[in-house]
Amino acid sequence: MPPKHYRAPGKKKEGNAAKYITRTKATKYLQVSLNTFRKLCILKGIFPRVPKKKFEGNHKTYYSMKDITFLAHEPLLEKLRHKRAHEKKVKKAKARKNKELAERLLNRMPTYKLDRLILERYPTFVDALRDLDDCLTMVHLFASLPAVEGERIQVKRIHNCRRLSHEWQAFISRTHSLRKTFISVKGIYYQAEVQGQKITWLTPHALQQVLTDDVDFNIMLTFLEFYETLLGFVNFKLYNSINVKYPPILDPRLEALAAELYALFRYVATGSTRKPAENQSIASTEEKKDSDEKMDTGVNESDLQLAQLQHQLPSNEPGALMQLLEDSNNDDDDVDQDTIECKTLFKNLKFFLSREVPREALLFIIRAFGGVVSWEGEGTPFEETDEDIAYQIVDRPTQGHKFLSRHYVQPQWVFDCVNARIILPADAYMVGMVPPPHLSPFVDDEAEGYMPEYAETIKQLQATAKKNVMPLPDLDNQDLADPQNLIADGVMDRTQANEAAGERRKLQLLEKQYHDELKMEMSGITYSATLSNKKSENSGSEEMQHKDEVVVPVSTEKNDEDDRAKLYMSRKKRGLYEAIEISNQRKKDKVAVLKERKRKAAASKSG
Amino acid sequence: MGKEKYEESSSDEEVNSSSDVVEASSDEEVESSSDEVEASSDDVESSEDESSSDNEKVEESDSSEDEVAPRNTVGDIPLVEWHKDEEHIGYDIKGRKIMKQPRKDKLASFIEGADDPKNWRKIYDEYNDEEIELTKDEIKIIQRVISGRTPHAEVNPYEDYVDWFEYEDKGHPLSNAPEPKRRFIPSKWEQKRVANLVRKIRAGLIKVSDQHKEEEHNVYSLWTDDTDSVENKKHGGYVPAPKPKLPGHEEAYNPPVEYIPTAEEINSYELMYEEDRPKFIPRRYLNYRSVPAYDKGVKESFDRCLDQYLCPRTRKKRINIDPESLKPKLPSRKDLRPYPTTCYLEYRGHMGPVNCISVDPSGQWLASGSTDGTARVWEIETGRCLKIWEVGEVARQICWNPSPDRPILAVVLEYDVLLLNSGMGDIDIQTKMKELLHISEPGATEDAGDSKSAVTWIQHEKHDGIRMKHFKAVLSIEWHFKGDYFTTVVPSGDSKAILLHQLSKKHSETPFRKLGIPVTAVFHPSKKKFFVATKKFVHVYDLSKVEKIQKLETGVREISSISIHPGGENIIVGSKEGKMCWFDLELSTRPYKTLKVHSKDITRVTFHRTYPLFASASDDCTAYVFHSTVYSDLNQNPLIVPLEILRGHKPEHGRGVLDCKYHPRQPWLFTAGADSIIKLYCH
Repeated sequence: MPPKHYRAPGKKKEGNAAKYITRTKATKYLQVSLNTFRKLCILKGIFPRVPKKKFEGNHKTYYSMKDITFLAHEPLLEKLRHKRAHEKKVKKAKARKNKELAERLLNRMPTYKLDRLILERYPTFVDALRDLDDCLTMVHLFASLPAVEGERIQVKRIHNCRRLSHEWQAFISRTHSLRKTFISVKGIYYQAEVQGQKITWLTPHALQQVLTDDVDFNIMLTFLEFYETLLGFVNFKLYNSINVKYPPILDPRLEALAAELYALFRYVATGSTRKPAENQSIASTEEKKDSDEKMDTGVNESDLQLAQLQHQLPSNEPGALMQLLEDSNNDDDDVDQDTIECKTLFKNLKFFLSREVPREALLFIIRAFGGVVSWEGEGTPFEETDEDIAYQIVDRPTQGHKFLSRHYVQPQWVFDCVNARIILPADAYMVGMVPPPHLSPFVDDEAEGYMPEYAETIKQLQATAKKNVMPLPDLDNQDLADPQNLIADGVMDRTQANEAAGERRKLQLLEKQYHDELKMEMSGITYSATLSNKKSENSGSEEMQHKDEVVVPVSTEKNDEDDRAKLYMSRKKRGLYEAIEISNQRKKDKVAVLKERKRKAAASKSG
Repeated sequence: MGKEKYEESSSDEEVNSSSDVVEASSDEEVESSSDEVEASSDDVESSEDESSSDNEKVEESDSSEDEVAPRNTVGDIPLVEWHKDEEHIGYDIKGRKIMKQPRKDKLASFIEGADDPKNWRKIYDEYNDEEIELTKDEIKIIQRVISGRTPHAEVNPYEDYVDWFEYEDKGHPLSNAPEPKRRFIPSKWEQKRVANLVRKIRAGLIKVSDQHKEEEHNVYSLWTDDTDSVENKKHGGYVPAPKPKLPGHEEAYNPPVEYIPTAEEINSYELMYEEDRPKFIPRRYLNYRSVPAYDKGVKESFDRCLDQYLCPRTRKKRINIDPESLKPKLPSRKDLRPYPTTCYLEYRGHMGPVNCISVDPSGQWLASGSTDGTARVWEIETGRCLKIWEVGEVARQICWNPSPDRPILAVVLEYDVLLLNSGMGDIDIQTKMKELLHISEPGATEDAGDSKSAVTWIQHEKHDGIRMKHFKAVLSIEWHFKGDYFTTVVPSGDSKAILLHQLSKKHSETPFRKLGIPVTAVFHPSKKKFFVATKKFVHVYDLSKVEKIQKLETGVREISSISIHPGGENIIVGSKEGKMCWFDLELSTRPYKTLKVHSKDITRVTFHRTYPLFASASDDCTAYVFHSTVYSDLNQNPLIVPLEILRGHKPEHGRGVLDCKYHPRQPWLFTAGADSIIKLYCH
């Protein structure tokens, strides 16, 4: 009797066995070591699949046969083989103590390029942007890592990561496409919107990173290799899109002061003015702008010169530069509402960063939202004594001279402002105080079913700031009108909060109705007709409900209705329905836990 | 002490061996550095025994001077032991005894040792019984030996090698040919090679190291506008990696108070399984500067990398639907009225659970049987109990004769079936009934061949009816629609399990032989068909031919009751696991629809005779009312709509509703409960 899966000689495999291949077999097929295979998979973006039937056992990893044949034709495979052969030669030369040969061979190590792979994996630019999250997180992580000799993280690569991350941040800040920020325990999250793609990345806190032993840096470095190349190309494309030359040439003085980001900002800002300079037909009335533009036209010839000229610009006058930027930006028509909102959030506000605040993060964020920043140190745009500074960001309370004209706020204030898109009152964020809770902008509170107290406060503030709905006169509008009160509202006791919430709900209902009516008016439906229609509908349904209620006891009616429908469902659907119900219940339980904790906390505070 | 001695003796031997080699004049060694003296004084103290007579020393040295081998000839024997008690230590070469030296007393030897600065270099030779004084050279030799060098300083271990033969003028083993010319001219091959390299470098094929480094920043516009075309599509369904989860409020450095777990909650995490334990425990930092570096940052990034290249990816449809939309769109209940919805009347009076009810064909009377041993007749509209029969046993089932001019009640007891005259109807009917229910001769029925032992028809004196005595326990009874025939089911009756009786002839027979254990049997409402339900199947028989037509597979575990649609083409089957199956006989032998209705046993399913309604009663104290439209068009499937759940009965001993029956003309439902109440639900 032939074995179970007998295949006659000369007959091809069929089904899953033909479509998939296990990892061990794949490495044998490709004649590579497991390490090389891993590297190839990482670079080519090939991942295991789940065959419908795991023909070689459950515990094995399966790859698509197509993927493997795809790998087999990969020129990179040959390159890696050459590299290995070359490494052997070097080793041999070293063993023979032929230093000269070894050195020569080392110099001529075969290299490979990944640009073709990037194009292959991301045929369009949008594809690349879509997959940029991991890339950015990794590059930012390595930018903050120490160079470890043993782990083969070279200083060069860390510098490269740093450069790439700064370039990316400069672009985001220049185009004002940063949308959300969040200080978490893990680091600072940013979310930007580039070409309609939401890109989220995490930068670690600017502290010495903890390196653990359970990490294989070879794998991470392979990933990083791909990501570095990818981000380089993406940056190139993005810089090109705003008419700035890439790679940027930085002011060596600022670079030396570890203020690369600022240097980049300046570079990007000036680079972007090339566009208006080229078409000089646009009449420019402002003399200052004129002169600047002239300067820029001169500069266009050589970027190095440009950097130097930039250097000559009065360094304590970035306002002029910003002005220039704004003017040039007004020409862009394709800017959406969101960007404009972001751009103008910190407009005409001067910030000063004290020591012990995350400088790069704040520099990036404040610039991205249209503010002007300076910090303590050399080469800064303006000094601490500048009278125009509106906000000074301080973390540790100090005894130094305090200016009455400015607010001294904690860093969290900037992040909260950015997330709320309004200038929040700074009183709660004063130095030395415990700031209000920091909320994640990535959570949809409505969907989650639980709205933290401070989120509600912020919502109110937003509503008042926008002033799109006039508060109704008969309702108690004091908590809407006065933002200060609203902050105080944060520590208001629970019953009051509940009342307020009820009122707010009412208000929202009224608002909604008002809007609906407005919409209807716009669409030309007469009010009375709709109203009567609605009424009749309502009354009809109510009548029905009423009847039902009369017939069936109220408590069981809903239940019965559920059961009735459940009876008729197929088993599959019923299972699904029950699963959904369970998950909903879990969600509710979570919210209940939160509420319970909140209640206890409030009780302990008051008691 | 023994150990010490051993050491001493071994050192003696060393000295002996060396003393042969170096013949030093001990007398010359008078001067010695003061350091040595001091060092030696310690030695002296430690080795008192050693210091033996000073006088012998001179003799010994004399004897050693004459180059003779040791004068003692006893050989290598343990001298100390063997000659302990002798006065000699051996013999000299001439066979004379060598006498022991007189022992010195310890004090004297010590003083002597302390006085003599050279004492440290004296060694007692046990074998010859003498004291030897080592010379300076000997000491040096000892030191060299101890430090692992050659004993004599003048020996050179690395002397130049001197060939053991001479090969001057002996010819050379290698070629002696003169140097060839090519040794003196530049290599042509090398020239070619260099030329090749130069050519390659010029062509740019080989890069000199400086050029190499320049090409670091070669980025260019990779994506041109034409790459947006779709032809660059991925093969094999590329699945992008899912994006990492975005942080919630709890991950903030300063989360709201309610997101921070209390100390007890954190402790309770310890008790959880490691997989269930939350990976991240929120903490609150009062200001930004106090936030530490995240210790798992690199690890998490690494895990993400692993996920990206090691995890199989498949596209899964995320179902993000409103659970309400899963519910089928049922026709509005409003349109399907009338149907029973509310409890209208309760018939109270039974003392035990009401097992069975039956409504008379006119719709005026309701009969019920209970475990309290009574059967009752109620007036439906008023709820008045009209008649009570004390049957004495548990009434298992009760059934009105479906023909209106035969107001006969059939009551199933344990082994008996009682046919009772209900006493309804006018005088004509009553006289007819009396006639019908009278058995003239008790033996008259016994001619019924094989069923002879199965059933006996007896006149029941007490209630003025007929008592049919079965051979085994009877489970159910069902009348034929014409009212003359009826069937009883005796589950344990083997080949006589299904009995067919004819009332007018008082005759019984068992036409169906091969069956399993039947549960219930029903007549077709209009045709000559007969349905027998066994545990898992429903058998359909043709009565005229007495043969099986169909076998319906229910797929349930145990059938409890069946009911036939008045049209006759549809059957519902209730099971003990709470499932109800709808069969369309024209369609298939498998259920058209199976509804998981009840959580407990279904006790009864029943169709309404005129309205498109059916109902099921169950032990979970509910009765369900369904709408069922059966279309005459064969292509259209029957419409089944759950309408109403009727509650109201209370559970008693784990039992709920025991029976349900529809009113023959009105959309009313009667339910009999284990709480000894009968309820009437009206629309």
